[in-house]
Amino acid sequence: MKSSTSFGYEEATTSGKKLSAVKILIYVFLILISITYILPLLWVFNVSFKTNREIFSAPFALPKDITFDNYSFAWTAGKLGIATFNSFIVCVTALVLSSILGAMAAFGIARLRWKGSKLAMTYFLTGMMIPIHCVLIPLFTRFAKLGLSNSLLGLIIPYVTFSLPITIFIMTGFFKGLPNELLECACIEGANIFQVFFKICLPLSKTGLFVTGLMTFVGNWNELLLAMVFISDDAKKTLPVSLSKFVGPYNTNYSQMFAAIIIAIIPTIIVYCAFSNKIVDGLTAGAVKG
Amino acid sequence: MDKMLRNKKSIAVFMLPAFLLFTLVLFIPIIQSVYYSLCEYKGMTAPEFIGTDNYKALASDKTFGIALKNSMFFLIYSCLTQLIIGLIFAAVLTNIQAGRNLFKNIIYLPCVLSSAALGLLWMFIFSPSLGINQLLEKLGVDEPPLWLMDTKGYITLPMWVIAFVALWQYVGQSMMLYMAQISGISKSLMEASYIDGCTKVQSFRYITLPLIKPMVATAMSLNAIGSLKFFDLVYNMTEGGPNHKTEVLATHLYQQGFKYFKYGYASAIGVVLLVLCLLITLFINKVVKTEQYEM
Repeated sequence: MKSSTSFGYEEATTSGKKLSAVKILIYVFLILISITYILPLLWVFNVSFKTNREIFSAPFALPKDITFDNYSFAWTAGKLGIATFNSFIVCVTALVLSSILGAMAAFGIARLRWKGSKLAMTYFLTGMMIPIHCVLIPLFTRFAKLGLSNSLLGLIIPYVTFSLPITIFIMTGFFKGLPNELLECACIEGANIFQVFFKICLPLSKTGLFVTGLMTFVGNWNELLLAMVFISDDAKKTLPVSLSKFVGPYNTNYSQMFAAIIIAIIPTIIVYCAFSNKIVDGLTAGAVKG
Repeated sequence: MDKMLRNKKSIAVFMLPAFLLFTLVLFIPIIQSVYYSLCEYKGMTAPEFIGTDNYKALASDKTFGIALKNSMFFLIYSCLTQLIIGLIFAAVLTNIQAGRNLFKNIIYLPCVLSSAALGLLWMFIFSPSLGINQLLEKLGVDEPPLWLMDTKGYITLPMWVIAFVALWQYVGQSMMLYMAQISGISKSLMEASYIDGCTKVQSFRYITLPLIKPMVATAMSLNAIGSLKFFDLVYNMTEGGPNHKTEVLATHLYQQGFKYFKYGYASAIGVVLLVLCLLITLFINKVVKTEQYEM
């Protein structure tokens, strides 16, 4: 580290001017890129407070007076309030179930000693390559027969299943990394296998649980296709579905639609801003291992 | 301890729940899906075996042709652009100190947002009377492009727009993967190259690039599968229109299966999609050979 700074200093003195010019160029480039990321969001945010007429008469000015009418309309008439609640129920349940089931299977693969463990891992991993679209129709017809269509449980089951491969993959890595002595110690102290799992291995793999939980939660929260096919009852739709239905070509009240978009993305943005470093690193750690 | 870890009962308790769920909800439906694709199956009636007729019908289905073409376009476009732009972002960001996290977080932000919502957002930005066209009007452009309504060309303008939005949304993912790999390269390697007289560009070309090759394979297969599965953005920006010009495999499957209830036919599209996903993953892992260097 030390040598690299001294080296950098040497370089800076010999070609100081050129370096700073490159630096400025880099920052200009990065700022331009950031603008393309932030401006669309700001534009929608700005327009969502305007009246429909203002959007066309003064598209880029700030709204004249700030009202939350658009928001309350989208929240109630657009059924986004219920949808947010539904999304929350579905995603939290799926998160808890897939973490527990996935971690258990990962423990079984990484730590328990049996012949088929490698085969089981391959079996679960193929799930990562399979697009959800292929199983839509069989699942849909089966769930209709079982009375699971139009129920939140009918969404939770496939969400848990599709979260399993990545959970198992990442958690297996974490469990394999735990030192053998630790488990042996616990055994000598008289712990049974469930105590070893729940009281020792799980708490020590918190990072892994956090990473996988984050990945599956984000994925399920944003999932559109399956939710759209499985749920047709307005009271049970999830956020992306209700939003897509409310905002569409047949609606002409633009400002309400913009408000709906903001409602749909603002919770994620707030959470992201609060924990951005943790989230970005966590999601990348997951993907790197995947 | 060995006895405990070999206990058949506890193995069953740990493995069975996940195994059963996975088999019942993922693997059996896939086999069913393959079977349905060989059947005449239209919702109300029971599936009736008709052999490969659905696949023959696919071959002469014009919309399927367009969908396949568009999906292939997405695949190639997103693999190439995400690789190049993701690498550029990663190289630039690893070379600056101040503000690295800020820029990184901004570029990564859309990856965690709902692509349904972002699709709608961009749909408005590219709509004929709002967003960009309002800006163009201010600048005095007489006939602004129709963006998402345009139908000319082999790859139509809406496809380019949607592909751009997809790049905008997901390039953060590739960038982060490359950054993670680049920051794993040991500092002494870089310094050695500088001492040997490399410029920054040269050391990027001859040291960084070969060392991040394994990650290129990973990121590319993620991109490839993602772009074949692509649904949310297309559905919310154009719904496959105008005149089916922007249909992709996933939207075509959705239309056939859940608008016209041609379950058998839609299953055939699903099988094509599955085969493509498996082939492309194999292909990328073969072509981008992962040589392991010590880092």
